[in-house]
Amino acid sequence: MIWLTWRQFRVQTLSTAALLAAAATYFLITGVHLHHTYTADLVACTPLGSCDSTLNDFQHSYDMAFHLNELLVVAAPALMGMFWGAPLIGRELETGTDQLAWNQSVTRTRWLSFKLAGIGLCSIAVAGILSYLLTWWAGPLDHLNGNRFAAMTFASRDIVPIGYAAFTFALGTTAGLLLRRTIPAMAVTLAVFVGIQILMPTTIRPHLLASTTHTFAINQATTSQANGIYGNNGGAELFISGLNVPPGAWVISAPPVEDSSDHVVAMSEHLNCFPPPPNGTRPEPGTTKGPGNFAQIGTCLAPLHLHESVTYQPATHYWPLQWFETAIFLALAGALSASCFWWIRRR
Amino acid sequence: MTAILQARSLGKTYGRRDALTECTLEIPPGHVVGLVGPNGAGKTTLLKIACGMLAPTTGHIEVLGNQPGADPAQLARVGYVAQDTPTYSNLTVADHLTLGAKLNPGWDALLAHARIDQLGLDPKQKAGKLSGGQRAQLALTVAVAKRPELLILDEPVASLDPLARRDFLRHLMESVAENSTSVILSSHLVSDLERVCDYLVVLVSSRVQLAGETEDLLAQHHRLVCARRDQADLPDGLEVILADHTDRQSTFIVRSQTQIPAGDWVADQLDLEDLVLTYMERAAAPTQSQPPRGASR
Repeated sequence: MIWLTWRQFRVQTLSTAALLAAAATYFLITGVHLHHTYTADLVACTPLGSCDSTLNDFQHSYDMAFHLNELLVVAAPALMGMFWGAPLIGRELETGTDQLAWNQSVTRTRWLSFKLAGIGLCSIAVAGILSYLLTWWAGPLDHLNGNRFAAMTFASRDIVPIGYAAFTFALGTTAGLLLRRTIPAMAVTLAVFVGIQILMPTTIRPHLLASTTHTFAINQATTSQANGIYGNNGGAELFISGLNVPPGAWVISAPPVEDSSDHVVAMSEHLNCFPPPPNGTRPEPGTTKGPGNFAQIGTCLAPLHLHESVTYQPATHYWPLQWFETAIFLALAGALSASCFWWIRRR
Repeated sequence: MTAILQARSLGKTYGRRDALTECTLEIPPGHVVGLVGPNGAGKTTLLKIACGMLAPTTGHIEVLGNQPGADPAQLARVGYVAQDTPTYSNLTVADHLTLGAKLNPGWDALLAHARIDQLGLDPKQKAGKLSGGQRAQLALTVAVAKRPELLILDEPVASLDPLARRDFLRHLMESVAENSTSVILSSHLVSDLERVCDYLVVLVSSRVQLAGETEDLLAQHHRLVCARRDQADLPDGLEVILADHTDRQSTFIVRSQTQIPAGDWVADQLDLEDLVLTYMERAAAPTQSQPPRGASR
């Protein structure tokens, strides 16, 4: 069985190994340069006190590469699920070769064990290597961004890609077994994967662990740290963004400002607190800029006893969430694989 | 010796469609069995159940005394060549032999290579580039070289031209004779089976219509041609399979365990093709005669 698994998967293994080597070379060369530039920039800017703009420039110069690399690591599990998982049983059923393979003196269970284990471990390894490379490569940029919970960032760093790789591979295999066709199985795998990549960061990941809610009183101290004050819904709501949550926290929800009886405050009712904009129009929905202004606004709003309740996952939840999400997808991969064994025996 | 195949009330349904109904069969060992029936009669379903590719919906089946496909030992005892003789198109002929060698403990490498040589196949050729006949031969080689006790072939010659068909059957019979393998072979053409089979199973619209040793079946069936009469006027002991009346004349196909008694009729033997067609015709128009008897032996 080892021979057959290898023989049928030889071309994919070798081409993937070549691609992986190319990716590793690219990551190493550009990564060494990136790390070097970062240290050099820091050394140069610190005595001049110009680090904000220098590091900003540094970050921007890697914008494109940063996003493309994240995309690569996020997409790799999907590609492996589609091109390795979906044809694993699907193509055999499609071409009728299952009837050849399953009539040798090897049970279907054994046949599937070798296939799933061999190729499944390959896809896990590929995802793990890519994730490791990117996590190292993007280290300085992640540090500057200070947002390790961004959807693409979280899904492409550390151990989560391993969970995704195992899951999409098992998903593709199951889809191929049930649909008995390679192309539809690939389509289903991709669709489910994309759905999950949208669902996880928006609705599931924020609630995997208990979040923290902090209520900020609106006054000079809090608004002076904000980075944006704006109205929405024609001035019926007021938002203050960038309130002082702990560094590295993932803000899950920042609802509109409320008064002491928990009613949403209309910005339009307190226009006197917002300095008139230069051209005389109302300040809504544009942002009123400038920290000096923000402090004044806070002072003006303070007697109204307003508050904003911000819900966030603290930075310390990063690793627990990584483990949790990985475990969920490994468990799903296990369940899908078990269903493959069940189906293949029952046929 | 245990029966090649023993089935009791075997049934398989796909959704609401019956592919196989109340199939009861017992095929004694040492035969080359022809499974005949029109397309869609359930031949493939029966063969797939026999090799363990499909599980029956109802009933019970034993092949060589065991549950089909139950374990590696049973898999090793039964060789199967599926319809359209699937092979891995991107693997070479030699790869297929390696596959057989790696996956079958009883693999006969000498036999396999000798067959490939004899057939003139290039071991480096990809199976996808072979002709239909060559591919069928390759699939047969893989099935034969694992040294099975029973070889099951589903329409192996359906896609072959007459010459390749004859070659394939000749090679099949040679290797069967050498290894004293039992064979079940399906076809919708009687002429394919006539030369090679000594046991016949007729399957029509998901039911077994007839089963038995070819010689016995031919000896038992006769065509009686006589002046027009009702079938009730025939002597006892003649089972009328099919009756056909014209204004003046009646033709009966009858089955009898004993000699046909003399009378005012002409009694003829049937050939295999006529015999099979009779049962197919009866199954297609069951109101004309008795209903199908399910399993007859």
